[in-house]
Parts: sequence; C-alpha cells; structure tokens
Amino acid sequence: MRPVLKLAFAALGLCSVAVPVQAEDLNFSSWGGSYQDAIRKAWLEPFGKSTGVKIVEDTNPEVAKIKAMIDTNTVEWDVVTENGVRLARGISLGLFEPVGKMVDVSHVIAGARNDYGVPSEIFSTNLAFSTKAFPDGKPQPKSFKDFWDVEKFPGKRTMQDDPSAMLEAALLADGVPLDKVYSVLSTKEGLDRAFAMVAKIKPHITIFWHNGAQPVQLLGSGEVVMAIGWNGRFQSGIDDGLPIRMSWDQIIANIGYFTIPKKAPHKDTALKFLSYMVGGEPQSRFSNYVAYGPVTEDAWPFIDDKRKERLPSTPERIKNALFVDYAWWGQNADKLTERYTQLLQQ
Amino acid sequence: MLRHRSHSVLRLSPPALASLPLVAFTIAFFVLPVGFLLVSGFYDHGFTLKYFVHAVSVSAYLQAFQNTMVIASLVTILSVVFAYPLAYLLATLRQTIAKILFLVVLLPFWTSALVRTTGWIILLQKNGIVNDLLRGVGLTDQPIAFVFNLTGVLIGMTHVLMPFVVLPLYASFRSVDRSVILAAEGLGASPVRLFWRVMLPLTSPGAIAGAIMVFMNAIGYYITPSLMGGPGQTMIAQMIAFNISEQLNWGLAAALALILLCVTLVLFAIVQKLFNFGEMMSSGSSRAGEPFGAEIRSRSVGGRISAGLGLLVVLFLVAPILLIFPISFGSSTYFTFPPPSYTVKWYANFFSDNKWLRATGNSLVIAALTVVLSAILGTSAAVGVSRLKKRAAGFFDAYFIMPMIVPAIVISVALYYFLAPIGLIGSLWAPALGHTLVATPYVFLSVRAVLRGFDGNLEYAALGLGASWPTMFRRVMLPAIMPGVIGGAVFAFITSFDDVVLALFLTNLKTRTLPKLMYEGVAQDIDPTIVAASCIIIVATLVLLGLNLLASRSSHARVDHR
Repeated sequence: MRPVLKLAFAALGLCSVAVPVQAEDLNFSSWGGSYQDAIRKAWLEPFGKSTGVKIVEDTNPEVAKIKAMIDTNTVEWDVVTENGVRLARGISLGLFEPVGKMVDVSHVIAGARNDYGVPSEIFSTNLAFSTKAFPDGKPQPKSFKDFWDVEKFPGKRTMQDDPSAMLEAALLADGVPLDKVYSVLSTKEGLDRAFAMVAKIKPHITIFWHNGAQPVQLLGSGEVVMAIGWNGRFQSGIDDGLPIRMSWDQIIANIGYFTIPKKAPHKDTALKFLSYMVGGEPQSRFSNYVAYGPVTEDAWPFIDDKRKERLPSTPERIKNALFVDYAWWGQNADKLTERYTQLLQQ
Repeated sequence: MLRHRSHSVLRLSPPALASLPLVAFTIAFFVLPVGFLLVSGFYDHGFTLKYFVHAVSVSAYLQAFQNTMVIASLVTILSVVFAYPLAYLLATLRQTIAKILFLVVLLPFWTSALVRTTGWIILLQKNGIVNDLLRGVGLTDQPIAFVFNLTGVLIGMTHVLMPFVVLPLYASFRSVDRSVILAAEGLGASPVRLFWRVMLPLTSPGAIAGAIMVFMNAIGYYITPSLMGGPGQTMIAQMIAFNISEQLNWGLAAALALILLCVTLVLFAIVQKLFNFGEMMSSGSSRAGEPFGAEIRSRSVGGRISAGLGLLVVLFLVAPILLIFPISFGSSTYFTFPPPSYTVKWYANFFSDNKWLRATGNSLVIAALTVVLSAILGTSAAVGVSRLKKRAAGFFDAYFIMPMIVPAIVISVALYYFLAPIGLIGSLWAPALGHTLVATPYVFLSVRAVLRGFDGNLEYAALGLGASWPTMFRRVMLPAIMPGVIGGAVFAFITSFDDVVLALFLTNLKTRTLPKLMYEGVAQDIDPTIVAASCIIIVATLVLLGLNLLASRSSHARVDHR
C-alpha cells in the first residue's frame, strides 16, 4: 500500500478502538485440507504437547491478507506457510522476518534454503501417465521429452496453468541440461525457446490444470493419457487404485516454506517452533501423512524403505532434480505469467 | 401518474428520502474503502497512468476483457431464453408443485461451485455419461468435447445464473392480466404471435431486471470458468484476483477493476437508453384483472410446447445435482462414476468433525443477517428511487449496482482495511456487512422491477382516503411489491451462502463459512466431504419445504372445517 493510502486508511480507522491481539501462545495459519491435517499431526500437536504452547490454527494465509494485516497493525498470525513463488513476492514487499538467518538451517539441503523462510517439505513436479493407455510391456513415457513426443506417445495431456516449473520442464524436454536451465531462461532467446516448446505441445493439451487434484482426476477418468503434476497428488491417486504411474527419472523439486510475518505477536515462540519443525526426527514424520519428503538428510534414519520409495527428496532422486529457483521467479513471475496466459489464450 | 406530481409534493414526501440509508451504507462500505483501493491504480510514488497503459497494452488482459464480455453476454442470452419456458411453467402450475420447482431452480446454489462442476464434468467429459449415451444410441462415434472449452463455460455458468432471470420473470408472468391473453387468442393470434406481441412486451421488465443481474454477476465469475473452460476462456476477474493475491500488484489490479467498472457502467447506460426504463415504469399497471396462470385447466398448443420446454430446462438444472448423490456415497477420493464401492464415511465426517457443522451454522447466521439488512436497505432505496425524476433515478440505478460490478476480491481487500482496525474481523458482522454490500443490488433491482408494475393510482387513492404514508406503504404498496422483495431476499441469501471470496479476507477460523471451508486445501485435493455436505443441505431444505407444505395444507384444512 502506498504511504498516502496507508494514511487514508489509518484515518478511516482512527475513530475505532484498536483491539489487542489475543494472548494465545502461537497462531498458525496454513491452507487447510489434508495438508494442514498433516502439519497438525506431524508438528503442531507434538510441539504443543512437549512445550505446553497453546496453538491456535487459522486458514488461508494469503500474502495479500498478510500485507493488509501489517498495514493495519492487526497481524494475528505468528507462523504462515507459503509456496516459493508467494514467499519471493512477499520478500520483495518486506512482509517476512529473515527467519532463515535466525533458525539453524545448516543441516538443510542447500537448494532448499532461503533467508526468509524455513523449508518444511520437498515435493516434486513429475511426469505421470495412464497405465491403461501405456500398459506394461509397451513403451512407457519416462521423461519430459516423452511428454512432448506425440508421435511415440499419442493422446491428450495436461499441464499447469502457471508457468513456474512448466517452462523449466519445457527446456528440459528440449535437451537443456539441469544446471543450465536458469541461465538459458535468463536470456531472451532461452525464454522464446521455452515458450515455443509450450506452443508446440499446446494443441495436445486438453486443459491447463489449476488445482493439484485435477491432473489425477483427468488421468483417472481417461480424459488425458499423460500429465505433469505433483508427486503427492499422483501418489494419492495411485493409493486410491487409479491406473496411474509416475516417473522418477526426471523431476523438478518444489519447496514449501514456513515463515513469520512482520509484526507477528509471538515471534519468539514462532522461532522455537520453526527450529523444532526443521529438526531431523520431526521432519521424518510429515511423510506419514502426505507423500512429501524431508528437507534434511537427518530425517532419513527415521524413515523406512517402503515409505522412502514414495518420497521425492531421497539422495538418489535429488541428484536428478532441478530445484525451482524462487528468487528468479520472484523477479520474473509477473511478466512471464502474462506471457504464458497470453499464449494459452491463443 | 407519479411523474406528474407537483413539485412541492415531491419535495415534502418522505419516500424519496427512503434511499438515504442505502446511500449512506454504500458510501461507508463501498465508496470510501473501495475508492481508496482503486485510487492506487493512479499512484506509484506520485501520479501515474502506467498501470492503465500496461492493462491496455498487454494482450492477455485485452483478451480476458473480451472473453469476459462475450461470455457474460452469451450467458445472459442463454439464461433469458431458458428462463422463459421455465417461468411460464412455474406461473401456470399449482402452487404446491410450483414451490417444489422453485427449490429445484435454486438447487445449484445449495452446492458449492466445486461440487456442481464435479457433477457436470462427470456428465460431460470424454468418457462421461452423456457421451456414453450418445455413442450408445449411435448418434456419434467420436466423443463430443462438452467441457474444457467455451461450451463447458456456458453450460456451467448458465446453470447457476439462470435463477436470476427465472424469479423476476415469474413475477412478471404472474402480473400479466389473463384477459389480455384470452382476447388475443380470441382474435386469432397464433402462439408465436401471441408470444412476440403480447407476452414478451408484458414480461420484459422482469426479463430485463433478471438479465442485468445475470450479466453483472457473470462478469465477476472465474471459478466455474476455470474449472469447466479451457485457457481460451480466462476471465478478467481471474486476472484481477491473480494480481491481488499472487503478484500483490494492486495498482494494476485497481486499473483493471476500474476499466471493468467503466465499461460495464457505459453498457448499463446504453441498456437503460435502449429499453427506456422510464417508459416501462408507467406501463403494465393493469393489475385489476384475473392474474395470468391462475387456474389454467387446459393449455393451448403454444402453452403445451412451452411447458414441455420448461420441463427440459428443469432437467438441465437438476441433472448434475442428482448425480452428486451417488458420488457422495462413493469410496474414492477421486470422483469416479459409478463409484468403485459405497461408503457413508463422508457423511460420518460431516457430523463427527464439528468444523463442518460450525461453518454451516456461521453461513446460515451470516446469510440471515444479510437477508434482513439487504431487504430493508434495498427495498427502501428502490421505493425512494422510483420517486425521483428520470435522470436522477438513472444515476442512482447505476450507483447502487456498482458493488456488483467491482470484482469481489477488490471489495474483500478494501473492506479488510476498513473493518480490521475497528476489530470487526473475527465477528460474524464483518462477512455479513460485506455480503450485504454485494447482495443489496439484487433486492434493489428486483423491487425496482415490480415497482414498475405498481399502479400509482392505488397510492393516491389510499392517501386521498386519509391513510398516512406509512399505513399506505404497509397496507397497499408493500403487499403489491412483496414478490419483488421476496425474490430479492432469495438472491441475497444465495449470494451470501455461495460466497467464497469475501469470506477469504473477512472471516477467520472461528467465523469461517461453509464455502470457505470447502475451498480450503483445494489447491491440493478435494475432500469428498464437501459433496456429502451439499447433499445434506439439499435434503435438509427439501425436508423443511415438505414440512412447510404439509403444515400449510393442514392449516388450510382446519380453516375449511370451520
């Protein structure tokens, strides 16, 4: 909010009584549903039990709402969870505390660290296909290159309506090596190349999905034969008995973050909670509930092999993974989303 | 006529002042908060037009504007066309059956957008029920693409927006004097001619009021289009929400919202000119005759065809909703049809986790507050505006519907800045006030529409016979405009009960509403409990209506015995 407007809004609220934030011990806000259920069981409840901290949950920590809370001095939340792109946007507007420097994250996988967020889990963007369309014994798609190969693997496909991770997949499919993806994307020619790849596959895309469950639903119903989507969602479809298989040959690693908004009422307790959450043993618990992997190697001794199979951040899989560069997306998301939307509309 | 009243009477009469409460409410909760947010479209360390330049130079936005206008127009036309046979059917049926059909018309709103689109997709997808049927009977051998394109968007949006035409149109049908129809038939008018020359002009106020509500509503839609459309159907509201929530580029969002507001207001002014609202005000005051539809025993040919078409529209409205009942008992988290096996666990979830019941309770309380507030504000404003001269009335018509045009996400953020410092976030009043703001225009428009058919001479007669204005209002005017008030109140209820976006900013965990709870976690997965919740709400409503019908029947019976 611009300063003038801030003043105006302050004036509007002047006649009012400022209500003190409730004296709860820790106010936590995430995105509800099965994700927040997992967080509750893995971290909130055990932390509350061992420290006596009373945790009050809320939902929908929209970055826009965090900004509005900070502007109006009504910040209620101590810990919020954001994806990397939203975190980067919030950082550029100065909404978050530098928790990455306040909590010990030296044991965390290097690609996941961030000055303003403590990583909570690693999930991956994978290729998945319908085993009805591509049964065992016949060629099955394995890489993003196969996603683009409509001759060898005919049929409709689905990918995300948001460019982050999709432009990376397009370049990987076009043969750009892992470590060169962002330097290529940072050039005009590289961007044109990525967008040209999306344009090339677009006629074969039934729908650009918006919610994580959509690609699973579409694969399950036979509407599409191949999808690029999130591993945890595909896994839940597979566990549900849908004819889906995921490829682990080539993955893009996404990271979820926990952070503390500026002016949070219980910052010290919040920092204690973040230190706890990122520890080895607590990190191992999350994947009991969702197939998302730990952010630290310290967690693996607590995870059995069967569960390990399902997780994206094992040392072998991380080797082949491209980590999404959120700082890069924080700077480029606006222009690229406009361009991506424009291409999709054509 | 009212328009010919002497100036002094106009100035002294209280009715024109009746619009003041809504004027004040709109200034406090819309003009000031939303105005401050929209002004940021001109501001970046000083005055700038860069956001407007950006908005009109990036083709993604221009395309989204075009999509929005085209889709909103098509949905409006389809809604009016479908609503005609249905409203005719409703107006000519026995009251009891009509009541049940009314509920059917409103069924789409009793479920979340997530649930009803799920129903549609299962019906219409490539391997869906409709395509299976079509292939089964040999009408087609290739599946037809009904969803993830423009067709899907039109189906989904018409399904949910059509009620906004059906109700006012029904009121118009009921106020048509049946002797006019009999006269036309007696003079040998064909069914087609009867419709074009008699029915259409007489029912147009209702159709136009409904069409305006559909159009204004449609331009703010983006959840249904994003689930049932393809990338070619991106709506401007989605781009505005993206810039507010994801990019936090509020300057650009404000510029886009302002452009949308201006374009829509210009369109509204053109419609006002074209259909000459003032003229319509003085028409249709033929209330004395026998109402159309009362006790129709035999239908004409045209009537039978219309009623048949009306039944098809009913089928269109209920089909996806009926489908969600078997799905709600399906064991799969991913909605497959027919379900692999059956379970009641989603129902058990609803009743065992108190968050569902609490959210349902919050939604009902908020909707009730919204209905009461918006019915009072909207009705009094409509009565007031109907007393103004044509030009002033035109201005206030536009002024009062503005909250419908500005995308909900903008209102949501603006109201947060306004209500949080006074400690209202966390109270049910915050969402109730927000909902009242966006729901009152529906009451205002529907009461305005019935007031156009209100015979001013009745008012003079009552006042001339010595009734005070309040007595006249209570005894004469209010009963006459009641259908409009009730229709508007129903719209206010469903606007509140279906809202997600305002609840996002204006509620917290304690005050969250059912739609907000249903949307939580949707980026990850859809909890099938929301389907069970929708079924429970539908069944509960049907049971309440059934009891109500039984009760009224037995009370009638008692009266007869006396």
